[in-house]
Amino acid sequence: MAVVLLPSLLATEAGGQQRFELDAGTVAEALRALPIVDLIFDERGELRPLVNVYVDGVDLRDRDGLETRLAGSEEIRLVGAVAGG
Amino acid sequence: MVRILVGTRKGLFIFVAGDERRDWTLEGPHLVGWEIFHAVLDPRDGSIHAATNNPVYGATVHTSTDLGVSWTRAEELGLPEESGLTLEKTWHVEPGREGENGRLWLGGAPGVLFRSDDGGANWEAVESLVNHETRDRWHPGAGGMCCHSIQLDPLSPEQMYVGISAAGVFRSEDGGASWTPANQGTAADFLPDPFPPVGQCVHKVLVHPQQPERLWQQNHCGVYRSDDRGERWERLEGNGLPSGFGFPLALDPRDPDTAFVVPEVGAENRVTPDGRLGVYRTRDAGASWELASNGLPEPAWVAVMREGFSFDRLDPFGVYLGTQSGSVFVSADGGESWSEAASQLPPILSVEAVAWP
Repeated sequence: MAVVLLPSLLATEAGGQQRFELDAGTVAEALRALPIVDLIFDERGELRPLVNVYVDGVDLRDRDGLETRLAGSEEIRLVGAVAGG
Repeated sequence: MVRILVGTRKGLFIFVAGDERRDWTLEGPHLVGWEIFHAVLDPRDGSIHAATNNPVYGATVHTSTDLGVSWTRAEELGLPEESGLTLEKTWHVEPGREGENGRLWLGGAPGVLFRSDDGGANWEAVESLVNHETRDRWHPGAGGMCCHSIQLDPLSPEQMYVGISAAGVFRSEDGGASWTPANQGTAADFLPDPFPPVGQCVHKVLVHPQQPERLWQQNHCGVYRSDDRGERWERLEGNGLPSGFGFPLALDPRDPDTAFVVPEVGAENRVTPDGRLGVYRTRDAGASWELASNGLPEPAWVAVMREGFSFDRLDPFGVYLGTQSGSVFVSADGGESWSEAASQLPPILSVEAVAWP
């Protein structure tokens, strides 16, 4: 099972749950199974540009993007871009 | 009991007081981490609806049916794929009329309107506005192309208005199925044709609740009144107002001739004029304006956002304003005197006041 870890705002929106264990073949499948899918993807299904996704500490952009395959034990961490005041 | 819903860049703050509107108690903050562009308490059932935005996680609507104790987020909110548009921000939630159970309207950017018939859980884009024939002549203002004003005629169930910056005012006489530009007489000094059919930078529109053929408008280019449901607008400044530029607007709920504005120096210097927080009031339908700022700070160079001004329906009626510098001011006597109800809040984006048990 892959583990998805949410930042605090998304965890609040997910009913207080910060950690999800999911059986998914790709990162996209894992993220689309979350109850906050509308907050990380826009209405076209595109990952919002300021949502950063790390798979075992590596930026998704340096892997195969949302189609990055999961073996089943990865840690997927969502991090909002650090910006603003 | 009166509640002030104060939307800020850092969540929703609710202030509660008795009908004397003197001693305010804070509830919250709620919806921490969200920018609250507007929040409203639905007088039909006491639910709170908030237009919520986050720079990372997008635009949505949150609803509470227990006065802020718990919140639910709308189901996925978006625009039809064939429109080629994606939702940028949510700006304003307007409850439906008495008897229209569950109906809500939501304005957003880019110049879009949504309707809910289930109390805010699900929203459908109003395609007649998404696909409006004049859309190619709309353009965004500094805050984006925001649909910030939604006004329902309380006496005519099919009559409603929206204000979009910078597209103008649009009137529907069929419950939102079609829209007619209602901008005759309002200026767009920043365009080659200063009086175009559409493209005006309307900042706020209000319908008078007891005389709904009368509309008031604060525009980028002046303050206006219409006495014929937006067919024609009359420009009103030059008679006591230090500037025609401003954003917020408030009314006297019982006197259609009384309105309040908070002018700013101008588009290039968006602070209140003359070094004071100046509320200006007309009691003769805009023929003249007077300063109504007894108790407001001076010197002061502040700004009040378009949603940062509100009035209640009590007698005497209350007027409320919130500043970008985080203060809430209340007048419990129709603008005769003001006192500070709260300070040191995050930048205030919206203020709505309502009497609710």
